[in-house]
Amino acid sequence: MAAGFKTAEPQEYHRSFLKEKCRPDGRELGEFRPTTLNVGSINTANGSALVKIGNTTVICGIKAELAVPTADAPDKGYIVPNVDLPPLCSSRFRPGPPGEQAQVASQFIADIIDDTNIIKKEDLCIEKSKLCWVLYCDIMCLDYDGNLLDACIITLLAALKNAQLPKVTINKETDLPEVDTQHKRHLQINKHPVASSFAVFDDEVIIVDPTTEEESLATALITAVTDEDDQLCAFHKPGGSSLLAEKLQDCVSRAVTRNREINKLIDKVTESKKSSK
Amino acid sequence: MELDINSPVLREFGSEQSLLSKPDGSATFMQGDTSVMVGVYGPAEVKVNKEIYDRATLEVLIQPKSGMPSVRERTREQCVRETCEAALLSTLHPRSSLTLVLQVVHDDGSLLACCLNAACMVLMDAGLPMSRLFCGVTCAIDAEGQIITDPTAQQEKESRALLTFAIDSKEHNVMMSSTKGSFSMKEMQQCIAVSQKASERIFQFYRDSVKRRYSKIL
Amino acid sequence: MPITEVSSSRQGSRGNGDVRPLFARCGLVSQAKGSAYLEAGNTKVICSVYGPRETERKDETDMKSGRLVCDFRLAPFSCPKRGAWIQSAEERDLSTGLAESMQPGVCLHRYPRAQIDVNVVVLENDGSVLAHAVTCASMALADAGIEMYDTVLGCALRQDGDRCLVDPDLAEEQGSVRESYGENQGRVAVALLPNLNQISGLQADGEMRADTLTAAVRMCVEGCHKLYPVVQQAILRAVKRKAPPPPEK
Repeated sequence: MAAGFKTAEPQEYHRSFLKEKCRPDGRELGEFRPTTLNVGSINTANGSALVKIGNTTVICGIKAELAVPTADAPDKGYIVPNVDLPPLCSSRFRPGPPGEQAQVASQFIADIIDDTNIIKKEDLCIEKSKLCWVLYCDIMCLDYDGNLLDACIITLLAALKNAQLPKVTINKETDLPEVDTQHKRHLQINKHPVASSFAVFDDEVIIVDPTTEEESLATALITAVTDEDDQLCAFHKPGGSSLLAEKLQDCVSRAVTRNREINKLIDKVTESKKSSK
Repeated sequence: MELDINSPVLREFGSEQSLLSKPDGSATFMQGDTSVMVGVYGPAEVKVNKEIYDRATLEVLIQPKSGMPSVRERTREQCVRETCEAALLSTLHPRSSLTLVLQVVHDDGSLLACCLNAACMVLMDAGLPMSRLFCGVTCAIDAEGQIITDPTAQQEKESRALLTFAIDSKEHNVMMSSTKGSFSMKEMQQCIAVSQKASERIFQFYRDSVKRRYSKIL
Repeated sequence: MPITEVSSSRQGSRGNGDVRPLFARCGLVSQAKGSAYLEAGNTKVICSVYGPRETERKDETDMKSGRLVCDFRLAPFSCPKRGAWIQSAEERDLSTGLAESMQPGVCLHRYPRAQIDVNVVVLENDGSVLAHAVTCASMALADAGIEMYDTVLGCALRQDGDRCLVDPDLAEEQGSVRESYGENQGRVAVALLPNLNQISGLQADGEMRADTLTAAVRMCVEGCHKLYPVVQQAILRAVKRKAPPPPEK
């Protein structure tokens, strides 16, 4: 009976739960799904992390390559993020070139990296105007059940923390780079941004961490990104129902506490990975 | 210059409607040197795979001044589309398509805001049913923490953070928000307040231009 | 690039004819009709199945039988050298190889005018990816409840002179082909329907004598049978979870 109601009247189905201040999966309105993290499971990548927020699963692999710095920034390396939504993760995505959602997510991640300076790009330079690192951060969704952006940023941050780069020197005589795989170093992480996403239901009820179903029924979606100093790095609301400034404030406050929780989780997992080696 | 929250500085802005013959509605919007031209087609027949059974399918395309649309345009398209979707009463035209094509004529800062204003103008010009109007306002926060409304490209470059909001005409609430750079919660609240103030002038302009236009016809 | 030298004995205690220990699980992707994850050594493969659903391209609709559409992708970080985002020629070949190996195992006539999507992503490539993708795809199809004649199992082999390495890792797979271009150098991948004892897919490249190839295929079939219990158990566990056995009175 409940299954039929859910299929025929999804909006009403959700409303009946929200009226009681809870959600179909048993969560409260302000509750995130259980979030788990696993780092360093991909041996072919310099750094990797897998994040699960409820069913949503996202993996990030970082590959470092050597390149020549660009002429207008000779003392900087670069970071190239990309978000991929393969047909594997949900029936809504088709094979072929990336769709709008994947492109928007990639741009969003790229903006976060640039705005917050997660990693100082000068740190990636090996020798001025000769050699630098390029970090390809490939983020792939394996199971799409809503709240993609939150998962992407967590996995990116954890993978960057996990990444190790070998020592590279330029041989003075041959002018060729020499890679010393024995000596590896971790990257210096400058900022720790964490995203929190919200969905607005019927123009007024705000719920956190929406599932795909909640996303598709929502009248607006909001993503707030904060760093550890409680500064906002992004406040993205692509449209939808209009909201009072006070409601937006509530979202930011929730995002601030979420940042603490997630950074604690990342630190814990990173530490246990290090000690298990 | 000291910022006065009650009278935010906007560059001179203007608009022209129904200037193209082929589309069902057209408009240009200019803010200082930033200028966007837009045409709307529809309600028309929709492709089967894009058909939505209970409302119209809205598509927004943004053409940059030169070259092909890039990933950055995709983000803007999404923002304009979802804002229009919230304002339009698209349930009145089920199983049909609406296409908005925006051509950037010149970008001198506050481009997304200008796109939003142009989009609202064109929807009015085409006479599409809407529940509310909306307008876009960009605020830049410079290195000293000063808020500059409707910044030029140069001011955008020098700013620490850039926030664009879409404000609706009914309750003057925030419909859309897109930001770049880092800022505090207090700064965001200030920017929203300034944008709400600035939006009144833009809505007054909308009203005046519609009045001017229809006073001749009626 | 230095090519890892393949020593006479394999790494660890694995014999030439042994497959790597297999880890297999069904039903990990919540959005899919059926899914499977498989790990053999460091090779990590995930597969999801969607459908049967309406065919996307109307001109290719077959009135009598369904279509099996396979999409094979290597994650950009899965190989020692970073891959591109667009599907490479190698991935297209692997997609075709996978589709051809899977088709004979699926009762496609039961799904007229429909399409079944099989999406495979390799998260880490440590050799024998096509073979493991076949096994993984067949587990995902079973998990999705798609009618099949039999499970399809894949096993690969690297022939290096007289040595015959079953389920090779990446170093073994690529090793010495470029170094010494000798006799009997090649790679074989077999897809087997174990209960029917039929081979649904066979891919061999390199240069091998006819009798070596026959022996190699036999070795692969043996390898497949070694994998079978693990696969069977994983499917069984998934079925039990979906339809728990009635409580005994």
